[in-house]
Amino acid sequence: MPVLTEDDIYRTSTQYRLWSFTRESLSSLRSTTNQSAAEGVRAALKSIHSQQTAGESEGQRSHDEVTRPTNYLKEVDCLSVEEELKLVGFYCVKTMQFADFCEFPTNVKATAVQYLKRFYLSNSPMTYHPKEMMPSAIFLATKTENHYTSLNSFVAKLQKITAEDVIAPEFLLTQGLRFTFDVRHPHRGLEGGFMELLALARGKENSVPGNTRSPGQLQQAMMELEPAKGGSKITRSAEDVVRRIQTAHGKAKDVLKTAALLTDAYFLYTSSQIWMSSLYLTDEPLARFYINSKLPSPSPIQPRLFIILKSCADLLRSSPSADPGEAEMKELMKIDKKLYKCRNPEKIDLVGINKAQKREGHEDGLDDKLIKKRKLERQKSEKEAEDIFGPALEIK
Amino acid sequence: MAFSPVITHEAASSIKVTATKAKSLAVRTNSTSQNEALSEAKSGGQELAERLNQETKDKYVKDKKLGEGTYAIVYLGHLKADPSSLVAIKKIKVNTEYRDGLSMDAIREVKYLQELSHPNIIALHAVFSSKNQNLNLVLEFLPLGDLEILIKDSEGIRYGTAEVKAWMGMLGRAVWFCHENFVLHRDIKPNNLLIAADGEVKLADFGLARSFADPYRPMTSQVITRWYRPPELLFGARYYSGAVDVWSMGTVFAELILRVPFLPGNTDLHQLELICNAIGTPTEENWPGISKLDGYVKFDKAITVPIRGKDFYLSRFGTAGPVGVDLLMSMLALDPRKRCTARQMLEHKWWMTEPQPTAKEDLPKKSGGLEKMGDDLKRRGGEIEDGRGDKVARKLNFGAAK
Ligand SMILES: Nc1ncnc2c1ncn2[C@@H]1O[C@H](COP(=O)(O)OP(=O)(O)OP(=O)(O)O)[C@@H](O)[C@H]1O
Repeated sequence: MPVLTEDDIYRTSTQYRLWSFTRESLSSLRSTTNQSAAEGVRAALKSIHSQQTAGESEGQRSHDEVTRPTNYLKEVDCLSVEEELKLVGFYCVKTMQFADFCEFPTNVKATAVQYLKRFYLSNSPMTYHPKEMMPSAIFLATKTENHYTSLNSFVAKLQKITAEDVIAPEFLLTQGLRFTFDVRHPHRGLEGGFMELLALARGKENSVPGNTRSPGQLQQAMMELEPAKGGSKITRSAEDVVRRIQTAHGKAKDVLKTAALLTDAYFLYTSSQIWMSSLYLTDEPLARFYINSKLPSPSPIQPRLFIILKSCADLLRSSPSADPGEAEMKELMKIDKKLYKCRNPEKIDLVGINKAQKREGHEDGLDDKLIKKRKLERQKSEKEAEDIFGPALEIK
Repeated sequence: MAFSPVITHEAASSIKVTATKAKSLAVRTNSTSQNEALSEAKSGGQELAERLNQETKDKYVKDKKLGEGTYAIVYLGHLKADPSSLVAIKKIKVNTEYRDGLSMDAIREVKYLQELSHPNIIALHAVFSSKNQNLNLVLEFLPLGDLEILIKDSEGIRYGTAEVKAWMGMLGRAVWFCHENFVLHRDIKPNNLLIAADGEVKLADFGLARSFADPYRPMTSQVITRWYRPPELLFGARYYSGAVDVWSMGTVFAELILRVPFLPGNTDLHQLELICNAIGTPTEENWPGISKLDGYVKFDKAITVPIRGKDFYLSRFGTAGPVGVDLLMSMLALDPRKRCTARQMLEHKWWMTEPQPTAKEDLPKKSGGLEKMGDDLKRRGGEIEDGRGDKVARKLNFGAAK
């Protein structure tokens, strides 16, 4: 009977196969996307201009009109990669706030944020404004994370956004996500590690092949750990250690809820690496102890692992705030103002584009009669379903 | 713990290659004359994702229609570069009447098939969208029908314990793999077990699947086609586990031996009655805590059937042998906590006892082969009207899932 390790499973995930990058490949992808979008914006503006000029006869054109648009074109000041990142980051924060407001569970919130981040690896805010993609990303996440509520009830929570606004970008979004919906989050791993740490602190069996220390020895070693940075108190009893673990757990959880989502952690590290880094960030000696207890000693991968965790912890520490201050808001407003002038005019009306595509698509689809028939059938079976599942079971 | 996969260039390679292409195209836009720029402008504006999608789409050629399900049309197709490599292209209608966008069925099917790669689970080679926003799933082509066809053709197809063992082994490995990945299938039944050209059984239709990573979140009990639905779901349990799939496998096991559906209930209540008669009446004694389930039905003491003993099973399923019957009984334990897991099923000593499972190449195949496919498709279409109840469960699920 084969045993699948977490590593085996992670390696087959789309998160690993399609959404994992090195720092270099990530930044080169972003700059390609940015350049390509900028070209798109310039080309679209140019084509609008040439349509306009073609529509006018030579004589009517004044000298001024001929030169102005061309100059304007040259001047189009597109967003830089950094500006795009800041803007998308801001809408990730907005997404988190909205998800909290709706009281959606953590996995819906975290998945929605990752959807936005993944989408903007191959799309630019100059083409599709994150403000318009955000509701769609959240709604899609409610569906993929099994927290589906009807579109109507979803829209009821949004101001000034219609059902159509939510659905129109969904197709683009799923395409940008390359039709992969699964996101592996670090939250559950942290909970598992937390339970294991508590078991260790209480001197309960926690055997790892190759680890020679007894539960009692492990418990003792845990009490002798040097304190976490900032936590000056020396741990003397098992209870002290438990409290220390709880404190670290609470802080690490916060890191996973904010910094892990707002940085590129998901693109650069595995979900296990992320949760262990969150622990490393909040209580390094504890994290080191935990990992050593899980690995046979000496372990060939241990030194390598600590280097990874440290770099991930550094990344998490550098996270933008989940609550942007006044200065940041000012800068964001400036970026948005700039974006107003360099948006791709062909892609602004997403609802209209969506409608047009659906009309076009009728040629080889199911014919209308069939659709109608099916709808009737379904309504019928739904009604039957109510009969069957509704009162039937209560009859004794 | 997954600490070892260190991220490399390789993982990101496919998106990178195309990124470079997009760049060179974009550069070319600059140097074209005004008029051409108009058409070039469109492709310059085409985002990377759109281009990737187009590339995937261009890899395949759609041939004739194979069949139609409720939410999809299935076409035969092949790789453009290699006409002999066949695929099934399942085109999901995204924008018909379901106004909430991409349907839950489609989302689940795509989400889980993208992650699960196993010889006994239908392979999803690619996904692309056509310009009309339809979602197309490129699946491995499975030309030999499904287990239901074989079970039903009792005139044309003879098989014995060795064959049943081979099929159950393949099913068990598929379900074990799902559960190892924290995925519940929730619709296991013979016609979702498709057969590849080499006889390999493939678990398909993940439209009701979900992950069960979080044990504290309630799930809908309106899943699994009624005949294969375990008692805890019939009683409305909202917290359940892989045991639901194991029950379904048990009923498939029984059906393979009997060659008719084992527990073909007409209504949910009838289904429970059939379970009581065949297996025993669920009570607080044999299933502690059962009376707390929302939909618990207390049966009259007078008609309570005690849990059936091994002799009872031997009389109906004797061909599986005493060890096979042990396995069947542990898959059909009323109390889900007493039911074996998929892993325990695969570790059962039945696999060690004679006869050996038939090699997949030697398994019986449906008569008629490819030509008969059209008829099978019609037959399946009719089945929905027969009221097997599968659509019913699925529809309700939309409403109930919160
Ligand atoms: N991978 C495949 N290879 C060959 N034929 C297939 C494949 N997948 C589906 N088919 C055929 O196409 C038909 C339609 O399949 P689909 O999965 O859409 O619907 P279904 O499961 O039959 O019904 P429903 O959607 O109502 O559950 C099936 O009956 C099957 O015979």
